[in-house]
Amino acid sequence: MSVFVIGLIGIAVFFALVIVRMPISYAMALVGFVGFSYLTSVPASLDMVAKEIYNTFTSYSLSVIAMFVWMGFLAYYSGIGTSLYVFAYKMVGHLPGGLAIATQVACAVFGAICGSNTATAATMAAIALPEMDKYKYDKSLSTASIAAGGVLGVMIPPSVIFILYGTSTEQSVGVLFMAGIIPGILLTLLNMGMIYLLTLRNPSLGPAGVKASWSERIHSLRGGLGEALAVFILSVGGLFAGWFTPTEAGAVGAGGVLVVSLLEKRLSWDKLKRSLADTTRTSAMIMLMLAGAVIFGRFMAVSRVPFELASWVGSLPLPPFAIMGMILFIYLILGCFIDALALILLTIPIFFPVVVDTLGYDPIWFGVVVVLVVAMGVITPPVGMNVYIIKGIAPEIPLETIFKGVWPFLGTIILLLVLLMVFPGIATFLPKVFAGV
Amino acid sequence: MKQLSELIKGASSILDKLAAICIFSVMLLIVANIILRTVLSRPILGTYELVGFLTALGVALALAHCAFKDGHIAVSYIIDQFPYKIQSIITVFVHVVSLIFFAAVVWSLGNFGQAMKIKGLVSPSAEIPVYPFIYLIALGLLGLCLVLLFNCLVSIKEVLKNDTAKKVVR
Repeated sequence: MSVFVIGLIGIAVFFALVIVRMPISYAMALVGFVGFSYLTSVPASLDMVAKEIYNTFTSYSLSVIAMFVWMGFLAYYSGIGTSLYVFAYKMVGHLPGGLAIATQVACAVFGAICGSNTATAATMAAIALPEMDKYKYDKSLSTASIAAGGVLGVMIPPSVIFILYGTSTEQSVGVLFMAGIIPGILLTLLNMGMIYLLTLRNPSLGPAGVKASWSERIHSLRGGLGEALAVFILSVGGLFAGWFTPTEAGAVGAGGVLVVSLLEKRLSWDKLKRSLADTTRTSAMIMLMLAGAVIFGRFMAVSRVPFELASWVGSLPLPPFAIMGMILFIYLILGCFIDALALILLTIPIFFPVVVDTLGYDPIWFGVVVVLVVAMGVITPPVGMNVYIIKGIAPEIPLETIFKGVWPFLGTIILLLVLLMVFPGIATFLPKVFAGV
Repeated sequence: MKQLSELIKGASSILDKLAAICIFSVMLLIVANIILRTVLSRPILGTYELVGFLTALGVALALAHCAFKDGHIAVSYIIDQFPYKIQSIITVFVHVVSLIFFAAVVWSLGNFGQAMKIKGLVSPSAEIPVYPFIYLIALGLLGLCLVLLFNCLVSIKEVLKNDTAKKVVR
C-alpha cells in the first residue's frame, strides 16, 4: 500500500472518530500518532508527539492566543458590551430596525476588543434581546441579527482564527489582522444595510426607537467605554505600528482592559476569577487542538497527501478561480459540520499549498476568504454555534425561527465573498499600504 | 463513584487555578518587560522563554479541568441519533482509546524530560533548565488521563446498567 493511500485512510479514520464524538483535538493527535508510527516506527512517533506537544505549548508566538482570549473574557465580564450597545443604540436607534442595526455596530466594536464570535454573540444576546423584545421586534430578525453580528468578531481584529491561520501558514498575524479590517467593516455595513432594507419593506419587523440628543450620545461614552476603546487602539495600533509583537499586543490589551475595569469598578474579584477560568479552559482547548493539528500535519507530510493533492489539482484542466470556487465550496460544506477553529487547523496544511503554491493566490487574501467562509458555519444549520448560544439565552424561541432569520445575513456574507473574489484589494489594500506586503 | 468524582473535580480544579496564576503572570511579565524596556532601556532577561514556559503551564495544567467540563470540542449531533445503548458502548470505546493514547503521551513526555535532564538542556538566554517544564506538562496530561479514566468508569457503568435514560456521560 502506498504512503498516499495510508494518508487517505488516516483522513477517513479521523472523520470516523469525530463522528463517534471523540474530541477533535484527540482525534487529530491520535490519527497523526498512529499514522506516523505506521510509516516510521512507534518509538519515533512517540518521540515526535512528546516534542511537538512541548514545542506547541511553549511557543512564544502561540502565547498570544491566551492573551487575546483573556482580553475578550475581561471585556465580557466587565460589562463593556452593555456600554457599547447603549452607545450604538443612542447613535442609530431612531432608524427603522435601529436596535438591530445598533447590535451590528456594537458587535463590530466588541469584536474589536474581544475576538471570539461566541463571546460576542453571548454578550449581545443577553443585552440586546430584551431591548428588542421591549420594542416588539420580530423574533427572527432580533435573534438572527445577533447571531450574524457574532461573525463580525471573527473578521475584525484581534481574531483567534486569524492567529491560528497565521501560525499554521507562517504568515504575519499583524498583517492578517490588518487585512481583516476592511472586510470586517464592509460586512458590518452590509448587515446594517440588509436590516434597514428588511425593515423599510416591512416596518413591523423592527419599529424605530426614540432619537437621542448629541449630549446623550456623548454621555453614553463615559463609564470606561472610551478608555476600553483607547486600550484596543493602543494594543492593536501598537501591533500595526511595530511597537509590539502580537503576544505583547495581547498582554497590553488584557492588562489595559483589566486596569480600566478595576478603576471603573466594573470587575469584582469573582468576575476576575471567572474570566481567568474561562481563559484557561478556552486556551487549553485551542492549544491542544493546535498540538493535535501539528501531529496530524506531520503524518500528512510523511504520507505526502498535500503534495500529491497539489500536483493533482495543478494538472486539472480548469482555471484557477474554478478550482478556488470548488475549494471554498468544500469549506462551506465542512463548515456546516465542523467547528471553525478545528476546520482551519485540519485543512489549511492540505489546501494552503494548493491555493498558494499551485494556484498562485495571495496567502493573506486566502486567509481572509477562508476565515470568512468557515465563519459562516457559526450561523448555518445544523451546528451553527451562535444560533445555539442565542437559543440558550432565549430558550422560548424555536431554533427554526432563528435559522429562518439567518438567511438574509448569509446573503450578505456571500455577497462579501463575491466582492473579495472580484476585488481582492478589499483584503490586500491595507497590508500593501502599511506593511508593504 | 461520587467520592471519586469529587476527588477528580478537586484535583483538576487545583491544577486549573495554578494554570490561571500562570496566565496572569504571563500578562504581568510582558507588561513589566515593555515598561522596563521603554522607560529604563533594561528589558527583563529571558522574557521570551519565560513567557513560553508559563504559557505551557497555563495550558497543560488546565487540560484536565477543560476535559472535566466537557470543554474539548466534539461533534455530537450524529451520534445523538443512535440508540442509547450503542451511544454508551461507543462512548466507552472513545474514552478507552483516548486514555491509552494520552497515557502513552505522558510516558513519552516523561522520557523526553529525563533525556533533557541528563543532557542538561537550558533555555538560551536565561539558562533555565528545560526539564522541569516538560515534567509539569506531563503532569497536566496526567490530570487529563485521570479525567479520562473517570469518564471510562462512568461510561462502563452506564453500559452495564442497561438504562434507557437519554443522557450519556461524554
